[in-house]
Amino acid sequence: MTESKLSIVDLTKRYAAGLDPAVDRLNMEVEEGHLVALLGPSGCGKTTTLRMVAGLMDPTAGSIVVDGKEITHTPVNKRGMGMVFQSYALFPHMNVEQNVAFGLQMRQTSKSEQKRRVAGALDMVQLGHLSKRQVKDLSGGQQQRIALARALVVEPTLLLLDEPLSNLDAKLRETMRTEIRSIQQRTRATTLFVTHDQDEALDMADRIAVMNGGLIEQFGSPTDVYERPRTRFVANFIGQANFLNARVLSETGSAAKGETHYRVSIDGLGQFGAVGAPGLTGSTHELVIRPHRLRVSLQPAGTETIAGVIERVNYTGDALSVAVKAGDRVLQSQMPTSSGDLPRTGDAAYLSWNEQDAYLLPTPVKEPAA
Amino acid sequence: MSEARLFKPRFNPAKPAFGILVFLLYLFLLAPLLIVFVVSFASNQYLSFPPEGLTFKWYEMLPEESTFMNGMRVSLIVAVIVTVIVLALGVPVALALDRFEFKAKAAVQSFFLSPLLIPSIVLALGMVLLFGPLNLNNTYTGIIIGHVAITIPFVIRTTLMSLATTDTSCEAAARILGAGSWTVFRRITLPIIQPGVIAGGVIAFIVSFDEAVISLFVAESGLPTLPVQVLRYVENSADAAVAALSVILILISLAVVVVVERAMGLRKALR
Repeated sequence: MTESKLSIVDLTKRYAAGLDPAVDRLNMEVEEGHLVALLGPSGCGKTTTLRMVAGLMDPTAGSIVVDGKEITHTPVNKRGMGMVFQSYALFPHMNVEQNVAFGLQMRQTSKSEQKRRVAGALDMVQLGHLSKRQVKDLSGGQQQRIALARALVVEPTLLLLDEPLSNLDAKLRETMRTEIRSIQQRTRATTLFVTHDQDEALDMADRIAVMNGGLIEQFGSPTDVYERPRTRFVANFIGQANFLNARVLSETGSAAKGETHYRVSIDGLGQFGAVGAPGLTGSTHELVIRPHRLRVSLQPAGTETIAGVIERVNYTGDALSVAVKAGDRVLQSQMPTSSGDLPRTGDAAYLSWNEQDAYLLPTPVKEPAA
Repeated sequence: MSEARLFKPRFNPAKPAFGILVFLLYLFLLAPLLIVFVVSFASNQYLSFPPEGLTFKWYEMLPEESTFMNGMRVSLIVAVIVTVIVLALGVPVALALDRFEFKAKAAVQSFFLSPLLIPSIVLALGMVLLFGPLNLNNTYTGIIIGHVAITIPFVIRTTLMSLATTDTSCEAAARILGAGSWTVFRRITLPIIQPGVIAGGVIAFIVSFDEAVISLFVAESGLPTLPVQVLRYVENSADAAVAALSVILILISLAVVVVVERAMGLRKALR
């Protein structure tokens, strides 16, 4: 195993005795140069985790190791990290250049070296021409870039980003997403990124840690957490999902990446194909199907279809959301719009999917007591 | 919106009424100052109104009046030292009250703000009784302790106000960038709360310079400050030299406020 840049071992934070821990025995390994997103709803412990790594908060238990050195109790100003805050936290009484130079001054870098590196950092965020401006005269996006330059100019051991995009408007957020990612890749700064926005995490991260209630529900690549969610929470938090309880009848062959094809039975709807981890036969699992992987046709097509009636159609320009009522369930489907026939409320509809797009969650559903 | 405008009366009686009210308020606030100003140039033998003629003799008298000059010296020395001490004490107290949670927080807060609520005559009496056995009556130390007690609430209040509007993540950012606690305070916190600190300092200076009750009780016989001297002067003689002195003092205060406002934006700090 390669040495990780950052190891978090059993990290725990309890704000007060008797309360549930905000972060509960969290473990994580971050590879050098990776951008890792801590993703979850508010109160899931992602910001607490980040602040403990930064040293702004003392952990109750556990340890933090960077480059093989334990830093759990190293004072915050000796950790050599860089952080961008949600509010940017630029020093209001200093101009742009002075803000960026602050970390270098603390390291007693020579004046000429400071000048050179500040100019380099400002060029990197394309704001070299604003070096003498007061920070209050800058727009939100510019302040954001200055904050990034200030954090990166010291060549930090870790770059920590605390919801850096949430104060920007939607358009700018998209641009900054791409820009932060490309700067991060160029500097190869190992980065922890706290966000509650799944799109941001999917778009920017090498690895995503989906957090809930102080625990990591799943730690994996964006495609992993999206395509192969480990829990219902992950499937629900990242993108939308249809959940169907499916009894696994038999294996029908092996699929790619060590997965297995199964034959499953869904109460009242029939038998279908699905994939999942090996060894699920005999128990009941939740079947996850993403709305845009659920095909709606207006004519019966093939045998493995669910027949239903269209209950609602939402047209959003580039996509069409269709809710189909099948028995007592309502399933969501999403499809690209076309200028042809659009489904209408009340039409009969037939739902089908490709076998590899129906994923069985690995943990069995607890059978209700018979 | 346009409909509302249609029915708007052409003449709004509230407008001139409001103007008159504002005028009266200003008159009420400024009339004493105006009268002092006028009287200081009046040739009347005694302090009275209206003036009988124009003269500069009261102003010419001032430099020769040694009681005023001595009082001015004492008051300035006291006010400067009080301002320095009260800032050195008040700013850390405000920081502690803003940043830390501790058990006796509410008690500490009320303790430091209580001099604002207690009549100064009560404070003054207490101080005389306390300072007697300590041999502090009629000393600079005594007056300064008294003035620090009554001015510290102002510094704490203005500093707390500045602190309440600062973003603590600025300090966190500086620490992460490698700054130790003292550097963070000196290079980040203090510059950010500077308006509140300066406002508190200016108020403390003016309040101390102007303070009469405590000075009168604690040091009337041995170390009279300017307000005490003015009081004594008015008791003994009734000419308009005091009015001339008052005008000079008003101009000095005005100069201080204007200079600080120009340099640091006092108005912003006091808002």
